[in-house]
Amino acid sequence: MAEYSRIATGSVTSNGGQTLVILPFTPNFIEIFNRGRAVAQNGNTTTTFCITKAWWYTDMGQTAAGYTQTTTAGDYTGWIAPTGGTSSSIPTVVSGTGFTTIQAALALQYGPVFNNTSNAFSISKANPAVVTTSTAHNLTTGNWVIFQNLSQSATTGMQQIAGIPFMITVTGATTFTIPWNTNQSNYTAFNTATSTGNVGSFKQILYPVLYAPGVSFISAITTGTTTTVVTTAPHNFVQGQEIAFRIPQAYGTTQLNSLPNLVIPGSPIYGYVTSVTNSTTFVCNINSTGYTAFATNQAFANYPGQTFPQVLAVGDVNTGGYLYNGGMLYPSPSVFNGYVSSTTVGASTINGPAIQGAYYNATFQGFIIGTGISGTSTDVIDYRAILSDINS
Amino acid sequence: MSITTTGNLGPLILQSLAPAMLYVPTPTMNYILVCDKVSMPANGGTTCRFMRPRALQPPTVQLGNSGIDPPAQIPQRDIIDAQMAFFGTGCIINEQVILQDQEGVLAWVSERLAVAMRQAEDLILRDYIVSAASQIMAGGGSNGDNPSNLGVTDFSLVATTLDTNNAYKFMSGIEGMDRFGTGPVRSSYFMLSSTELQTDFDGLTGAGFLSQWNYPTNTSCLPSEFGSVFNIRILTSSEAPVARSASANGNDVYYNTILGKQAITHINQDGYSMNLIYRDPYYSGMLAQNATLAVKFAQAQALTQDTAIRNLLCTRLSSIGGP
Repeated sequence: MAEYSRIATGSVTSNGGQTLVILPFTPNFIEIFNRGRAVAQNGNTTTTFCITKAWWYTDMGQTAAGYTQTTTAGDYTGWIAPTGGTSSSIPTVVSGTGFTTIQAALALQYGPVFNNTSNAFSISKANPAVVTTSTAHNLTTGNWVIFQNLSQSATTGMQQIAGIPFMITVTGATTFTIPWNTNQSNYTAFNTATSTGNVGSFKQILYPVLYAPGVSFISAITTGTTTTVVTTAPHNFVQGQEIAFRIPQAYGTTQLNSLPNLVIPGSPIYGYVTSVTNSTTFVCNINSTGYTAFATNQAFANYPGQTFPQVLAVGDVNTGGYLYNGGMLYPSPSVFNGYVSSTTVGASTINGPAIQGAYYNATFQGFIIGTGISGTSTDVIDYRAILSDINS
Repeated sequence: MSITTTGNLGPLILQSLAPAMLYVPTPTMNYILVCDKVSMPANGGTTCRFMRPRALQPPTVQLGNSGIDPPAQIPQRDIIDAQMAFFGTGCIINEQVILQDQEGVLAWVSERLAVAMRQAEDLILRDYIVSAASQIMAGGGSNGDNPSNLGVTDFSLVATTLDTNNAYKFMSGIEGMDRFGTGPVRSSYFMLSSTELQTDFDGLTGAGFLSQWNYPTNTSCLPSEFGSVFNIRILTSSEAPVARSASANGNDVYYNTILGKQAITHINQDGYSMNLIYRDPYYSGMLAQNATLAVKFAQAQALTQDTAIRNLLCTRLSSIGGP
């Protein structure tokens, strides 16, 4: 063991797709053993996708991996090449689905572009809208994406949602849904192959939540004695979070906006979160009975310059800590950071004791176990990660 | 005839070091400039808490002659918490480097670490503002995108929004003077923008944009100030946030942060953000071979007046070409 190297070991539960491991360093060697696949391999043939071990050296390149598949016919060693490279064919693995080191520190960074050339796709007219890609998208529930150029023709399509960040729910190797109702009169089904100029695209937002809680975009509001709000991606609010709405006129429910205040002019009206249903749904205390209905059926022609409806954290009414339940009294904040498939349990940050509802830093580093080697959801994966002194 | 040339009798030592180091391209750090500054005390816990009283309802109903007091009001307050986070980086330098290098490696590495720390403070604030402040899409431009390129109505809209929200401006106005080509400058909020938008600002000359050069006096200008539009003075930096190819039409999206006083607060803890740490090789291993130079700092940030800040998102009117 040299003086400055780093080593970390542990286990993580696979979410069936890109599985994040947060470490205090970025490794240059990773190896994993998938306990779940080791049990499941009994009776597997050589063509069955059942990888039990995988490893990565930094010189292999991002998204690559070596792997071992255990079958009834013996062990096979294979190679997942970086994106665009040539991978092993037993079993058929997809290049670019191995390990990726990650240093989530700077905002507004994106993954590879999906378009008519790289991976054609369509968006259905449905609630929620279904995105279907021509080949495997290799995304995971909890990832965030953003769309561009959704003009099916000069005057039709889904440009109304271009630019909104969405958390996806994966429904198949080539399908996922986004939380928006496109089954409305002003939306036309979109397909890159038949659209104007074939330039429609989407891409993953790599580090969508580096600081939380923040501003979120609203996809639905249910009015009543309390107000239920659905956001397009995780809001990262907690019970007691103080919130403000920014809803443009075209979306209807402008009465929720924090200003103007007709009773005390100039004083913003805030609500607070009374319960969190899941990562994208919460209930706030504002009595919105009789308010104008929330409308997402925006006209296609109005998309230029259209501001999206937003809700943002502006404070909190918590006094600190959770009720003691035998666990940590003041746990680190947890966050839905774009790599958490659960919609109810976020990933713990590395921050240390925190008051719930405070603004906190959610930057992180570590590595991602890609879709080609992460097995099946709930698989327990043991890992060892090293940052060595010398890498020649 | 035999002529001795450098071909057969070259210099013993071929190179000499130029007397001064070359400059390091470094962005202007605007974000920390406009923040309120608060220091948490030592032993003050993990979280900085702000309190803002809420306005009481003005008593606009007359008492009348009944002799009955009106109902009492319950004072309320808003609480804003920000959790401290710690950052640091450093270099491990072998003693042979220090022993043999000619240009004072410890000195310039120290300088680089200090600048890296300051830039980190600014980038953290930049990305925090991107995540926390609400957005207005520019719609006053003509490029048909969402957001559009900037039009003067966009500046007017955001300034009107902040004025309506009773935000405090940073700068007093500059009165007009009898100087050729100059014009008065309104009292102003700041807008933190990208240098890549300067062509678009120049394009608004005569339509509302006043170059900093055309202010009646430059005494109150900041070094990164490019000009002003209506009630907004524009500071530019090459590190301003840009979402590449992220607009509705696939163009770059620029985050222009327009804010008033106290909109964002930068918090340190007991001056902890000043630590430059040198450890002599003596402390490294059996043979004491390696020195370390490092910086560390603590920082938190909070949106302390959400009504006094907006990110005005825009695209550019036209491409200015490559870098």
